[in-house]
Amino acid sequence: MHLCHHPLCCFVPPYMAENLQTSDDPAVRQIALASLGNEYRTARRLLTPQFLAPSLIGQVTGKERYVFDMKGTSDPLPGKLVRREGDRPVEDEAANEAYDHTGDVYDFYQAVFGRDSLDDAGFPLRSSIHVGDTFDAPMSNAFFNGKQMAYGDGDGNLFTRFTKSLDVVGHELTHGVLSFTSNLDYFDESGALNESFADIMGSLVNQWKHNQTVSQADWYIGKEMLGPGARIKGLRTMTGEKAYKGDPDFGTDPQPKHYRDRYRGGRNRGGVHVNSGIPNHAFYLAAMTIGGYAWEKTGKIWYATMKSGLESNASFKDAADATIAVAGYYGNGSDEQKAVRSAWQQVGVI
Amino acid sequence: MQITVERSGGFTGMPLTLSIDTAHLAPEQATHLRHLVEAADFFHLPATVSVPAQPDRFEYEVTVREGDRKHTVTVGEAAMPERLKPLLAWVIEAARQR
Repeated sequence: MHLCHHPLCCFVPPYMAENLQTSDDPAVRQIALASLGNEYRTARRLLTPQFLAPSLIGQVTGKERYVFDMKGTSDPLPGKLVRREGDRPVEDEAANEAYDHTGDVYDFYQAVFGRDSLDDAGFPLRSSIHVGDTFDAPMSNAFFNGKQMAYGDGDGNLFTRFTKSLDVVGHELTHGVLSFTSNLDYFDESGALNESFADIMGSLVNQWKHNQTVSQADWYIGKEMLGPGARIKGLRTMTGEKAYKGDPDFGTDPQPKHYRDRYRGGRNRGGVHVNSGIPNHAFYLAAMTIGGYAWEKTGKIWYATMKSGLESNASFKDAADATIAVAGYYGNGSDEQKAVRSAWQQVGVI
Repeated sequence: MQITVERSGGFTGMPLTLSIDTAHLAPEQATHLRHLVEAADFFHLPATVSVPAQPDRFEYEVTVREGDRKHTVTVGEAAMPERLKPLLAWVIEAARQR
């Protein structure tokens, strides 16, 4: 029989789980078996408040982080475990950044939206660092592959390690949330919406962490992973300006801010990283009008929409209709609803 | 023979375009490149490999032109055919050196 004494592994203490194995209630027996088998995530999902002693409630937290090191290779993930939930900081800064920023994103979703990790059921948060690209060269990228996060170290010139940027971590984990919610198809307008929600939530985590109002936020995305040779302010901006213009390395920011300027070609799966500029700008306009902290009202409208307001093939217009409908929660014809409608009108989607 | 590689996607969304023309290569390099194209069986690779997309992964669009033959393969890095890798790796490295 497996006895687990780690406080974070066993939220049902072994003595209790052993007793519960012989319960008359099949659900209780299932929880006991899952707990003894160290399948604490399964067990947690089965738990209802009636089985929880008050002292256990605090331990049923979904924050379960693991950081792995790929040492420059691309495959097979995840690599060597270097830090797990509850471990003290390690020497590798990238590992500590992945750990801390993932924790911040988890805390943001829990505190602001009441969400318990990516699947709202304590999905373990695994990150691999020092991930190489397909050719085992340094990777100037970060991604979520459906099961875990991966972070590259950059080229050392234009980009540094991608773990450095909290909004990058928030962006990638939000792709994870999206995969468990609206699961927006990753091409054309639905793909650009997918990208936009990821940028928006990534920005909100950053603003929340630094307690910034809409006027204090700079609304730029992707700053901290820029390297010593980069002369631009950030990779994207949700404001109406270009994030960079005529830069010798980066060129000019291609993102449109109005529907008439949308990219209609096939590159980048129909421009998912380009056309995201349009819904991003709509969020910015709504947030600036509604004011205060962007995650409170505007963020909640957008979160409720991405969680349960959209089909996977949603268009920009569908997102506009859905956010306007959700904003009606603050009252039909309320200032909040007017702000959301006006934002989508300004970017030419409605 | 001309080879063009266009990489798109990634968190940064920064596009990358690389081109090689065998007319501008030393003879041994040109021969090696042709060999890599043969080894990839490039002209018989499917134009696209359809797998579920992973967000923020790179996509590669590779075009090879020789005489009146032309073929383009578009593939996400998560679904890259093994035999295409040596060709892509060589083109990326050669472009980096120029």
